[in-house]
Amino acid sequence: MMAGAGGGNDFQWCFSQVKGAVDEDVAEADIISTVEFNYSGELLATGDKGGRVVIFQREQESKNRLLSRGEYNVYSTFQSHEPEFDYLKSLEIEEKINKIRWLPQQNAAHFLLSANDKTIKLWKISERDKRADGYNLKDEDGRLRDPFRITTLRVPVLMPMDLMVEASPRRIFANAHTYHINSISVNSDYETYLSADDLRINLWHLEITDRSFNIVDIKPANMEELTEVITAAECHPHQCNVFVYSSSKGTIRLCDMRAAALCDRHSKFFEEPEDPSSRSFFSEIISSISDVKFSHSGRYMMTRDYLSVKVWDLNMENRPVETYQVHEYLRSKLCSLYENDCIFDKFECCWNGSDSAIMTGSYNNFFRMFDRNTRRDITLEASRENSKPRAILKPRKVCTGGKRKKDEISVDSLDFNKKILHTAWHPKENVIAVAATNNLYIFQDKMN
Amino acid sequence: MVARGQKRKLHREDGGGGSARESQLQSVLDISMDKFLRDQALVEPCLLRSVLINNTLRQVQSEVRAQVESLSPVKIPTKLKPEPDFTQLSPPAEHNASLSSPNAENTEDDFMVWTSEEDFSLSSAISAILKDLDAVIDAGQGPCASQRAPLRSVENLTPCPLRTERTSAVASFAKTELMCPVRPQDAALDKLLLDIDTSVFEPELNLLQGFSVTADDLVKYLPSLSKSPSASSSSSLVSNGQAMWEIQEIEHVMDILMRTYPQS
Repeated sequence: MMAGAGGGNDFQWCFSQVKGAVDEDVAEADIISTVEFNYSGELLATGDKGGRVVIFQREQESKNRLLSRGEYNVYSTFQSHEPEFDYLKSLEIEEKINKIRWLPQQNAAHFLLSANDKTIKLWKISERDKRADGYNLKDEDGRLRDPFRITTLRVPVLMPMDLMVEASPRRIFANAHTYHINSISVNSDYETYLSADDLRINLWHLEITDRSFNIVDIKPANMEELTEVITAAECHPHQCNVFVYSSSKGTIRLCDMRAAALCDRHSKFFEEPEDPSSRSFFSEIISSISDVKFSHSGRYMMTRDYLSVKVWDLNMENRPVETYQVHEYLRSKLCSLYENDCIFDKFECCWNGSDSAIMTGSYNNFFRMFDRNTRRDITLEASRENSKPRAILKPRKVCTGGKRKKDEISVDSLDFNKKILHTAWHPKENVIAVAATNNLYIFQDKMN
Repeated sequence: MVARGQKRKLHREDGGGGSARESQLQSVLDISMDKFLRDQALVEPCLLRSVLINNTLRQVQSEVRAQVESLSPVKIPTKLKPEPDFTQLSPPAEHNASLSSPNAENTEDDFMVWTSEEDFSLSSAISAILKDLDAVIDAGQGPCASQRAPLRSVENLTPCPLRTERTSAVASFAKTELMCPVRPQDAALDKLLLDIDTSVFEPELNLLQGFSVTADDLVKYLPSLSKSPSASSSSSLVSNGQAMWEIQEIEHVMDILMRTYPQS
């Protein structure tokens, strides 16, 4: 999985594509806020702050171009959410898409869930490449024909047409969240899904929009006593009764929906004891978990906090089995990062298809990949400078002190405005999508 | 008299790392306060962010308290000595003992000897921190304010959250467990009156319900209201006689206010 890592062939990551504007001035609405491959990897969806969803489809691999995989091209673009105004609370509800989750494909159409702070929508994306021609009651341009003028009957014929991809909202799940939705997760039963906000988790049926079940509620009776919020939640990939949710205090709770209707009491509680030697004022903030993801196998889960990624065995609650430092050099800068709010950035993480590698983002448009088997890690950069087709990405290194070697970058030169919060890994192949502000980079392995 | 060497040794242990810790404490407090106040101005601040900032503020609070408590066995300048416990009128036993003991004179001398330049900087840092924390109280600090702020339009029916915060800040002074530094008495009294003025007499909020403190309670919560400036130096020692006088004073003030602002 890593450059130069194990296996037979030497593995390297190459630039494949970049999507998005090149302008220096980035429009706020164009900032990508979520990235997600579908189950087959054929489709790649992005959501942005402007409430739009853009879906890319991989073109069929051409036999002529053996050295590269199919490219991703725009398949469908639609406005998923609009800004709303809550008149009761005098609040504006942002249209920013917080999460997109695909449903497994069951027929020709594709379905995805998209969520902003308050509302989840189920979208159907379907193709139309035929149209009916030869209606009896209307002309080709749609005008109604005078019935008395019809002298013969004909059967309409399906004629091919240019491919049209339509996105239509099939369900709108609204009014179930007082606080901001941070996660949605489709259950393995393909009938239900959960949505989580800061204090509550709701379980929905995909067919039913007018009600949901509240399964977790951590809102205290007295809000003055609130010291912990829910930061992420996910359904187990195979066990439809199991889900996990993470908190701002660095804990993860695994709940079993068979145990009780309200899963306030967890079945398992995952927390790593704090290292007293590294305690600081920022210990709690940096322990806040920004993302939690089950492995594809369902045996492990991964959590991302500010400085590290941890892999947990679901059978061991008292500590993670693996810990990977993402950017430990920032530990001495926490006060500044607190001041400029970077410490509150929510980085996501993802597994590769075989669960042998994990990926997460960092600053300066760097992203990191860790091979769980070889324990090797690599830092790569998403930048237009390395954007020649099939250009091999050069590993990057941050210099933490002392003499800076050539090609290294010092901690103080990092651009904290260029943050990679959202990344996705193709479910089957070594193709990754990395969102860098308003640009989407696609990288793939170099096929030898 | 305690041997000089021992005291200096104690101080040295705090000295080096202490100042770095102090400055970080000050920075974190300043930054946290700034964020807290900014978030207060927002209609709907992020709940996660608010919780994390509040928890950090609480941490700073307990750190400051721990530092002051660690200094308390050693004499500290009385004007900087915080009020450790507002729920009792009589001073804590240890203070009584120390000041009424025959060694009072000597301990005073010891204090003068002990107070060196570094000690002053440490004390002044603590004093600055305590002042800032006090400002937090006045602004309606911590959980009662920030937790309500993002939710106020949903969770609380009160239309004026700021006033709610102040009320709860004053009424739940004992709960906050913050040490109030001794301030010039007039300024403290003015501030309290300001709080009473704006928060108690908002008819639709029925804040008197939350503000149902008696004059007795008020005295416990306030620093000494004695007029004499010398009394400020022994703020923790509010004699019963003095307290009675203060209760009457406060009752008189409240009577005036009630007459001026009759509840509708």
